[in-house]
Amino acid sequence: MKFIVSSTYLLKQLQVLGGVINSSNTLPILDNFLFELNQSKLTVSASDLETTMSSTLEVESNSEGSVAIPARLLLDTLKTFPEQPLTFVIEDNNTVEISSNHGKYALAYASGKEFPKAVVLEDPSKTVVLGDVLATAISKTIFAAGNDDLRPVMSGVFFQFSTEGLTFVATDAHKLVKYTREDIKASQVAEFIMPKKPLNLLKGILAGSEEDVTIEYNDSNAKFIFENSTLICRLIDGKYPNYEAVIPKENPNKLVIDRTQFSNSVRRVSIFSNKTTHQIRLKIAGAELNISAEDIDYSNKAEERLTCDYQGDDMQIGFNSRFLTEMLNNLNSDEVQLEMSMPNRAGILTPIDGLDDGEQITMLVMPVMLNS
Amino acid sequence: MKQQILHLDLDTFFVSCERLIDSRLQKRPLLVGGTGDRGVVAACSYETRRFGVHSGMAMKLARRLCPEAVVIRGNASVYTKYSSQVTDIIKEKVPVFEKASVDEFYADLTGMDKFFGTYKYASELRSTIIRETGLPISFGLSANKIVSKVATGEAKPNNQLRIDEGFEKSFLAPLSIKKIPSVGDKTYQILRNLGIDKVSVVQQMPLEMMISVLGQNGKTIWMRANGLDNPPLIPFYDRKSLSTERTFGKDTIDMLRLKTTIFAMAESLAYSLRSGDRLAGCISIKIRYSDFNTYTKQVKIPYTSADHVIIPKVMELFDKLYERRLLIRLVGVKLSDLVTGNYQINMFDDTEEMLSLYNAMDTIRNRYGELSIQKAAAMGAKTIGRFSNPFNGEPPILLAHRNQ
Repeated sequence: MKFIVSSTYLLKQLQVLGGVINSSNTLPILDNFLFELNQSKLTVSASDLETTMSSTLEVESNSEGSVAIPARLLLDTLKTFPEQPLTFVIEDNNTVEISSNHGKYALAYASGKEFPKAVVLEDPSKTVVLGDVLATAISKTIFAAGNDDLRPVMSGVFFQFSTEGLTFVATDAHKLVKYTREDIKASQVAEFIMPKKPLNLLKGILAGSEEDVTIEYNDSNAKFIFENSTLICRLIDGKYPNYEAVIPKENPNKLVIDRTQFSNSVRRVSIFSNKTTHQIRLKIAGAELNISAEDIDYSNKAEERLTCDYQGDDMQIGFNSRFLTEMLNNLNSDEVQLEMSMPNRAGILTPIDGLDDGEQITMLVMPVMLNS
Repeated sequence: MKQQILHLDLDTFFVSCERLIDSRLQKRPLLVGGTGDRGVVAACSYETRRFGVHSGMAMKLARRLCPEAVVIRGNASVYTKYSSQVTDIIKEKVPVFEKASVDEFYADLTGMDKFFGTYKYASELRSTIIRETGLPISFGLSANKIVSKVATGEAKPNNQLRIDEGFEKSFLAPLSIKKIPSVGDKTYQILRNLGIDKVSVVQQMPLEMMISVLGQNGKTIWMRANGLDNPPLIPFYDRKSLSTERTFGKDTIDMLRLKTTIFAMAESLAYSLRSGDRLAGCISIKIRYSDFNTYTKQVKIPYTSADHVIIPKVMELFDKLYERRLLIRLVGVKLSDLVTGNYQINMFDDTEEMLSLYNAMDTIRNRYGELSIQKAAAMGAKTIGRFSNPFNGEPPILLAHRNQ
């Protein structure tokens, strides 16, 4: 088995795949890239058992075979090369010999047969989405997903495909983001929960991509096919909480405000809030929004006043400033609307402008109980 | 300028309070403390002391020594009320003060001697307190907390004493080493075995010798004996945790009773937490079995102050910890890792009805007292409630070892 490949071309692909590999693995074989050569087609795979990603490269070769090559070692070596052709020769004594313009390097390899096989999806359903749209959907939602091991369903993003559109939801029970695309439709209804790690990989790869991504899925796995790569991952098993029920329907108090101004004020005031709980207080009366925070332990205190457009009763509501800042920063509209009903009910944050046709974002943030 | 630290101590505080409430108790021997089998004397009047009674003694023994004494169970809320009356007067009159316990205060009078001198000022403060509250109080005045405290002890009952600057050493010299704060029974034994009985002996010893015998503690004692130790005043006690515990009159394995007690404790602590605008990040539970083996178990939780998070966690911990099938002597609950903040509502677990109910219950408690409304599961537990805001900067009120 022998092939010749451009060093930077290979490195670029391997760096993407390297994101799949965990820093410490229980199974030593998972520290390797799987190289499968079939004439001029080289398929490289990386896996952490949950997620497996493969890319196909064009190389110069006329042989076949499969080997597992240590990932760290290979990546570190490739990073140092300027653009040049590299020759890989798989020797019989379990070493790969790489020849560059500068010299020769030998690495031990394992047999490709030891590498765990990726799951084959049986009779999957299929949906096609534009790469950039998927990347946007992920980046708009993933920050709201939780980290609680006790509730694994909330540690992923909920994909809801229907003939009316696609919906992506993430929540950690304190904040929730629902991102809907009504301009893209699936052929049939499907729901599944994607774990965070493969989504973060996809987000990085697909940002700005104008190519189509084919999503295949069944009850336990999902497969994303794009350009020359595929990503297969296991889905999170379980029932996603009924998020629709917690979105308040009637919200008589509506606040419209400049997003950047609001976000900057919240950030500034929150510096003076308690370092662990980050709680701030919003007081709204007339057309004035008063944001205040206090850290009693250190006698720090801040208060800011903003003018806003407000319809509804005067009210006071407490929030964790972290949640507000995260949400405001994730939007890119000029103005946002915050809808509220009661100080112990969710606030609904929506962008006023800056959305594509068919795009919808609803963000929910739960308040903290204020003692009046 | 030398510091002027005043130490004020209410004489036989609980006894004095009881006498204010019921004047028939004047001049009669009186014991305050637990009345059960395991009761301990929390306070005793001077009349009983000549029979050999002292605080901390088992109530049974105290009764045998002084059968004429009137025994009163005591009520912490009454003492807290009188204590805060005294606190208010002191707060008004002095620049900086420390409330070291319900009946003890330190005040920094440095710089207050501009016109009449700190001693006169302190004497007037003392007579104001006696006049306005009717409680006997003693004080000691000197250059640091330790000497002042010893001076108060010497002045008692109902008297005052000033130790002038430079006379600290000679004042302490003739006293027993037991009078130095931090010399307890153990240290006293060690020192007596070395042939040390009076403070003057410690004063003459080299510091190194004390350190070699008692370590760091020896250094502190030596400094104190020489009137040199000068700890700063603590004007505000920051509560790091909230806890409550109960020793049963008789060891028990009545699970219903145990669980009711723990439930009531958890409910009470969670209320205290909320009224102080705090959240807790750690829950622990303590069990002492009849063989005095004590076990604790704790768990970290996301910051919360909600009943429906804290109480089930406490019950779960108790179920996990109680495994010895042995009679239980004591149970306790503690909330720690406290931060300022309010409960972050969970969108799936918390319903609006529940939150409103909690709010309403807290409002009722704030107005009519903590025990005015309770969950049914906590009913039947003997009073667990605390009586004042635990976050007011005062040290926790202890009915000094009511149980042993």
